[in-house]
Amino acid sequence: MNLDFLALAQMAVSGGLMGMAYALVAYGFQLTHAAGKAVNFGQGELVMLGAFTGLSLSGCGLPYWAAVTGAMIAGALLGWFVERTAVRLALQQHNEGWVLLTIIVGLFWFSAAENIWGREDKPFPVPWPESALDFFGISVTWQELAVAAGALGMMTLIELARRYTMIGIAVQAVSADQDAAELCGIRSRTAISLSWAVSGIAAAFAGTIIGPVTTVGPTMAAALTLKAFSVAVVAGLGSSFGLLLVGVALGASENISGFLLGSGWREAPALILLIVGLALRPQGLFGKKIIRKV
Amino acid sequence: MFAGISLGLRENTVERIVRTAIFIGLAALPALWQGQYALGLLTLMAVYGVLLIGLDTTVGYLGQINLAQAALFALGAYGTALAIGAGASLPLALAAGIAGALLPGAALALPALRLEGPQFALSTLSFATLSIIVLNECESVTNGALGLSISRPLLFSLPLDATSFYWLCLALLFVAWEASKTLFRSRFGLAIEALRDSPTATDALGIGALRHKVLAFAWGSALAGLAGGLHTMNFGYLQPAAFGYDLMVMLLLGVVFGGRRSQWGAFLGAAVIAMLPNLLSNRTLFSFLVSFGCVLTVVPPIRALLSHKVPLFRQAAPAIAMTLAVTLVFFIPNVEEWRKGIFALFLFAVVVGFPNGIAGAVTATLRQFIHFTPLPILPATGGISSSKKTEGIALRLSDLCKSFGGMRAVDNVTLDIGQGETLGLIGPNGSGKTTLVNLISGLYTPDSGSVEIAGKRPVCGSLMSAFSAGAARTFQNLQPFHGLTALESILVCQQGGGESEAMGWLLAVGLEGKARIRCSGMSYGDLRFLEIARALSTRPRLLMLDEPAAGMSKPDIARLIELIGSIKRAGVPILLIEHHQNVVAELCDRVAVMDGGRLIALGTPNQIRRDPKVIEAYLGADDTERDNMEARQC
Amino acid sequence: MKAYRSILAVLLATTFSTSAMAANVVKIAITGPFSGGSAPMGVSMRDGAKLAIAGINQNGGINVGGKRMKIEIVERDDEGKNDRGALVAQEISSMGDISAVIGTVNTGVALTGDKYYVEKGIVKIITPAAGSASMTQWSNAGTRNLPIFRFAAYDGIQARMVVEQAIKMGCLRVAILHDATNYGVSGRDDLLRQINNQGGRVKVVTVEKFAIGDKDMTAQLLKAKAAGAQAILIWGIGPELAAVASGKQKLGFRVPMIGGWTLSMSNFIDTAGAAGNGVLMPQTFIEDESIARAKPFIQAYHKAYGVTRIPSPVSAAQGYDAALLLAEAIHEAGSTNPSGIRESLENLKVAVKGCIADWKKPWSKWDPSKVETHEAFRRENTVMGKVQNGHVVLANPADKIVLQGKMLNK
Repeated sequence: MNLDFLALAQMAVSGGLMGMAYALVAYGFQLTHAAGKAVNFGQGELVMLGAFTGLSLSGCGLPYWAAVTGAMIAGALLGWFVERTAVRLALQQHNEGWVLLTIIVGLFWFSAAENIWGREDKPFPVPWPESALDFFGISVTWQELAVAAGALGMMTLIELARRYTMIGIAVQAVSADQDAAELCGIRSRTAISLSWAVSGIAAAFAGTIIGPVTTVGPTMAAALTLKAFSVAVVAGLGSSFGLLLVGVALGASENISGFLLGSGWREAPALILLIVGLALRPQGLFGKKIIRKV
Repeated sequence: MFAGISLGLRENTVERIVRTAIFIGLAALPALWQGQYALGLLTLMAVYGVLLIGLDTTVGYLGQINLAQAALFALGAYGTALAIGAGASLPLALAAGIAGALLPGAALALPALRLEGPQFALSTLSFATLSIIVLNECESVTNGALGLSISRPLLFSLPLDATSFYWLCLALLFVAWEASKTLFRSRFGLAIEALRDSPTATDALGIGALRHKVLAFAWGSALAGLAGGLHTMNFGYLQPAAFGYDLMVMLLLGVVFGGRRSQWGAFLGAAVIAMLPNLLSNRTLFSFLVSFGCVLTVVPPIRALLSHKVPLFRQAAPAIAMTLAVTLVFFIPNVEEWRKGIFALFLFAVVVGFPNGIAGAVTATLRQFIHFTPLPILPATGGISSSKKTEGIALRLSDLCKSFGGMRAVDNVTLDIGQGETLGLIGPNGSGKTTLVNLISGLYTPDSGSVEIAGKRPVCGSLMSAFSAGAARTFQNLQPFHGLTALESILVCQQGGGESEAMGWLLAVGLEGKARIRCSGMSYGDLRFLEIARALSTRPRLLMLDEPAAGMSKPDIARLIELIGSIKRAGVPILLIEHHQNVVAELCDRVAVMDGGRLIALGTPNQIRRDPKVIEAYLGADDTERDNMEARQC
Repeated sequence: MKAYRSILAVLLATTFSTSAMAANVVKIAITGPFSGGSAPMGVSMRDGAKLAIAGINQNGGINVGGKRMKIEIVERDDEGKNDRGALVAQEISSMGDISAVIGTVNTGVALTGDKYYVEKGIVKIITPAAGSASMTQWSNAGTRNLPIFRFAAYDGIQARMVVEQAIKMGCLRVAILHDATNYGVSGRDDLLRQINNQGGRVKVVTVEKFAIGDKDMTAQLLKAKAAGAQAILIWGIGPELAAVASGKQKLGFRVPMIGGWTLSMSNFIDTAGAAGNGVLMPQTFIEDESIARAKPFIQAYHKAYGVTRIPSPVSAAQGYDAALLLAEAIHEAGSTNPSGIRESLENLKVAVKGCIADWKKPWSKWDPSKVETHEAFRRENTVMGKVQNGHVVLANPADKIVLQGKMLNK
């Protein structure tokens, strides 16, 4: 019994810490959705490109923090590029084309990465030790701690910037009402581009912090992105605190249901809950209910 | 510029001739182009054709990103495989495949179709992941990841070789195509089209959103199941992993590439996703195609340059993408390795260059150059005189309340509308008039109080239920069905009756000359009249008109007054929200005045005009407000 | 109009004609996943085979019935997807002038595609796909004159070695971990079969599964730990295997990890880092230049593809030797006719000196009741490898003799 409890706690902790990574990628979805009502279905490719850029930079002999910064700059450019080339066009044409265009651009990134960096998964060197720490019988690796701290730190930083800087407030104004914001002299286009760039930064940063766990390869973020998308929608595409909660819950629940039901079924309970939950509460757990106006 | 050729045929007829010719050509192809490979590709194309026609029902017609189709395809495939394993004959095995996808598809549709956008996409994605988990884990039934091997069953005790199996697939594709086309051209299809534009209006007019969506999704699932069954028999080996996210993305891209809301689009998309990965094997052909595509895409930017304009990014983007693709094709030694990248560029050019896909672009071009004979217009029958006369009380509201947050939008409203009565509802902006109509029509659920329409108590907060009780309404902010013509907008709303009756309603509101014009191309005033015709065609027991004269020109207002007068004379009870004093004065038997959510006065137009509370509500102490109001009354 | 017509003619010619038989070439197709998750194996196999073919062509080609014929390669990427694999097989078998096929990494691809080769009697050498089903499907169907040969240590052999190794190390309570793909599940079944063959000596305490892309193996490992497993027997591919190794280290779960040959892939070794040390797996080839037989191949591969380490050395070496064997068979058949090549593959007269071994009559006449007739590798050709500081070395240094051995007799 004692062992079982310890085992469950261990799994909840391990899963929960990885769930923070879901939350960070989900936060990228949230940022662009808030600004322009579109999300990047190729976000996983940005995560992957961020990781590859970081890897190449540290391969050039740059220290870890410089490689991560470089990856974030690349992420910002890529995020901006996706918005400029794909999303803006589709939204101008008033159709759901952006879903496909972001997938298509992602496909191109994927192919480019395959050819530039190769198809193999590569390890991502990190400055911290590989060993594990022990908290009351629950082991946690430095790497897991880094993922959690990085995700939390990055989200806090962006959220503070959104709330307390002029630019952040302007972006929020655009999310609330694009036309009204324009009338107040805010360039909504710039605000949207900026959101995409920041979303790209979050994705690239996510790539560099999970790269050491998942290894870096073209397909590294495929599974992660789908889970992040679930986290974003379930939390409600509007609450960053909710993202963390849902991300951690999803990570922990996967591990625990894997333990209890057999590892093949680990995702099943969360999926069933998700379908039922969305049917009951379409706006997400932490989303605000939308009132239909006519 | 270009006069165009007139074929003297209807577009529909031409389409059918071309399609039949293509199918005959496809059926004859194995005789000309021999080899297993060709047959394999053609069979795959036919199977994907069925699958994509199914996917198009949600992605195209419902306008929702559906990520479950690959999983439904898998469920169909396993249904068929298991039936074959149990010794079923070919038709029975296909039926099992259809059932295998249809039942879970319908089960998913019920919760999922209440959702839209990302939420819908996510619930279908979750369903897809869940299905693959089940197929993987139930090893005793599906053999899990090891896969199921089956051999093709006999068709009525005849063995099917590759060619006859191809013919079978082609025939089924033809059937699926024709059935889908018929379905989406029927009233059902119009309803689907309508609810994509305004689910609120379709519910309020009794068309019913959820029912149609579920049916459309079920139809798409059934086709996925059929395609899955054919797929099983084609390859003879199934593995859950083959039906994952990659396949789903491929299918989605196929539909968009070909063109949404079109069976032609689905067919072209299927041809592309079946052929494209194999095209690269033939470098010469591929280089030619890419170059040809590149030439096509540089036309718009060059045209823009020739007329001394800087080409828009939208015009230039496909050309840039295709140029990049050409560069890759000609300068990269191993093109195979860049295959995905080249396809991505291809797809990018198509999605940006032709938002309606290849089929959409081709249709638009053909319509420019060929004049098809328009559909005939039938003579009008029926009209306002055929409206229902309502006996008894039309509407009874008791102590109706509704708050939004701390704001009481409707506060204890009690009100009756008598037999054949026209009641005017006036009040300053934000006084709760539209909220009241929304409560009556079931868009909002009241916090307390009750609504009774023509003696029935509809379920609170259900548009459909209020409609069944007899309510029909128009909207202050227009809710037209952009994709439908005026005639179709009526056809989809009216309960029974054909085109002649629909023409009757159009004639009644003076739109008979615009029957074949799409709502997206109609003027604001016309759309207001069309909304009234739409509501009338449901033969309501209570007609609610929410500011019908807003934004109308003076002559139109005169027409409107005449129209509402004739509706009134036909005995239809009317709740009329209006700001135009003259409209209210001329038409209403009684007038109710709202302010701050409360009913402050009720009486004949003359009594109301003199009521001090009304004057205060409207005029307050501020003179500018009075000026505004007078201006509005003009 | 004329120009248009000529373009059309070219198009039709290139699309529809089965290209004219060039009399002086032998066409060989190489298929496998050159993109996607299993690409490292597919690409290594392809590049190994191409290296062998380039060598043969440099020496003037194959002597076929007194005529020197060069080898022409047709490459097809099956992406590791079953239906794509089936189409590739259909395409190759309808080309009409392909003499033989080398390739396939994913067992599912063999299961959907190989029937088209069998229908046409085209020779195929499966390498490096190891799943048992790709050969047993033919013995179950009782196919005669099977043109499908395997050149890989199939899972049956590997599983036996893994189980024997566990027993040797005194681990009689084992946990089986495997990925959710065809490869992993069929590996699991092979392991269970072999454990069964040991007659109750080894007890399986838990069987756990993980999906491609899973990086957190805590649940599976904790279950194994709680059940008191003394060894982890594992079947999967690179990155997930690495996640298991790191997870083990994290949980302080120090038991041996033994599994299929894929544990020698660089994406496992690099990713697992120190956690990978001591992991054991059966190998047919080790990238170790101190083995005289392997040295020229390793050096040539490094030089030709500008790498310092082969992504999947086993795949590359098997691709190389398979191509050499095929060339010899074509030479002995004296024609490019598939049925002739099949017969000479079943009765190779001359021993072929490859980078793995000297292959003397690796295959024999197909007998549906004995899959071994078309399997080239035996238990004796295979050694246990061990990960040590980023490289695969022999677990038992005495095995070096196997890899250097002069002759392998059947």
